[in-house]
Amino acid sequence: MNGRDRILALLDGKPVDSLPFMPITMMFACDRIGAKYRDYATDYQVLVEGQTRTAAEFDFDYVNSMSDPAGEAADCGAPVKFFPDQPPALDEANALLTDKSILSGLKVPDPYASPRMGNRLRALALHRQRLGQEKLIEGWIEGPIAQAADLRGINNLMVDFFDDPKFVTDLFEFVLELELSFARAQVASGAELIGVGDAAASLVGPRFYEEFVWPYEKRMMDGLRSIGARTRLHICGNTRPILGLMGQLGCDIIDLDFMAPMAEGRAAMGPRQVLLGNIDPVRVLRNGMPDEVYAAVAECHCQAGDRFIVSAGCEVVRDTPLENLRAMLHYAREHAVA
Amino acid sequence: MTRFEELQQAIIDGKAPVAKELTDKMLKEGIRPGEFFPKAIIPAMDEVGRRMRECEFFIPEVLIAARAARASSDILRPLLVGADAMASAGTVVCGTVKGDLHDIGKNIVAMMLESAGFKIIDLGVDVTAEKIVDAVRTNQAGLVALSALLTTTMVNMKSVVEALSAAGLRDKVKIMVGGAPVTDAWAHSIGADGYGKDAPAAVELARQLATA
Repeated sequence: MNGRDRILALLDGKPVDSLPFMPITMMFACDRIGAKYRDYATDYQVLVEGQTRTAAEFDFDYVNSMSDPAGEAADCGAPVKFFPDQPPALDEANALLTDKSILSGLKVPDPYASPRMGNRLRALALHRQRLGQEKLIEGWIEGPIAQAADLRGINNLMVDFFDDPKFVTDLFEFVLELELSFARAQVASGAELIGVGDAAASLVGPRFYEEFVWPYEKRMMDGLRSIGARTRLHICGNTRPILGLMGQLGCDIIDLDFMAPMAEGRAAMGPRQVLLGNIDPVRVLRNGMPDEVYAAVAECHCQAGDRFIVSAGCEVVRDTPLENLRAMLHYAREHAVA
Repeated sequence: MTRFEELQQAIIDGKAPVAKELTDKMLKEGIRPGEFFPKAIIPAMDEVGRRMRECEFFIPEVLIAARAARASSDILRPLLVGADAMASAGTVVCGTVKGDLHDIGKNIVAMMLESAGFKIIDLGVDVTAEKIVDAVRTNQAGLVALSALLTTTMVNMKSVVEALSAAGLRDKVKIMVGGAPVTDAWAHSIGADGYGKDAPAAVELARQLATA
């Protein structure tokens, strides 16, 4: 089986020759080709080179196209700071929607004509050209609360839930339109799987998640399915209080960060949900020894069962020992699913 | 319910206008400014911290509670004189280290420390070691609280420790660190004095370090 077939077979409930291996790499992949991260984030050819070579070196079953969460917001006009060798970051103090009234005049930019979104589209097209059907090609969009936080400023948004709930839903409507437009362009450019990163969802607790965030995540996932994409949800942080709701989104893949035990995810989401994760990227994958990494993956597999994809809880950090990543690969390849 | 209990409840509920109005009213009734922190603001924010640890409160609830505490303390701080002013828990210089723009974790820690009676010198994000050294010296701070959310920027915490040593200030300040990739082992390895895994833990740690 090649990587693409392996992932799709698992998602479809068919036998696979080994567990799929899908670690999130960005800075790690950049370092593997000796590039500077500013170039990785802004030049699709550098990103594709980093992904392709890293995926080949460690036998990943997929390649991704993401570099930082600031792309869509930057193309909407949000101020972003660039650094020579680390991810671009939104300038929170000068967030685009510091003045809430700006939202009513904000237009969804054309992803093809926008510098940062367009760069991702070109990355996906080049991935497709280079890899064909060999590995699964993943696009990426920001989820409703993550993108809302990027546009409004996360400190402001957290208080808006109390002070101005109508503004929050208006902002989420804008984000939904923005991200589905971007996702359509990504699918047209070669993405088969769309990952949705909604990091801030783990900060608000179950009450606001259910009332505000979940309905928009659901519409986003439904929208992605309607354009033929497979779907993946990645919420960084402690999602334990919202696992049950996450499991009702109908995602093909749900990532768990390391703070949410796989066993809790399985119990909350039922036997069919494909779970991805979730060893601790810093304390185990970077700081541990290969045998500890192998054992940690085994424990995740034991808790998750066979509807499981091997990965860390979040991004593989840039100075992760190579033998630790290989230990994850070895575990994945040694375990088939009947 | 006593006046102090009413103020505590307003803070826990995140009702800043109520907290402000109650503070004004209590001052007019003759309550000394120095009584508010130990009898209302600090216990209220301790309760907020407890609820956060117990997953009853999340970031929005903590932020509005801290905003309510600030509505009260902003009135009180200029009025704290003499023995009341001396009773401050200490001065903390805080910031997110150079190259890192993440600030919500640092902001929450700063607000909770402020509500616990510390004077906060918040240097913001992307802060150089030199700026931290200057702020410690200028404000005669006893504590430095450093935040980083990236493995690529947490190394700059070490630069701060080294810069404070080079400036001859290391034995005058305690250094605490926090942020998603930070661990107790990391804190130890760079020569910091402690690691707070979340905001309530950071407040506890600051209290311990301030009295050590």
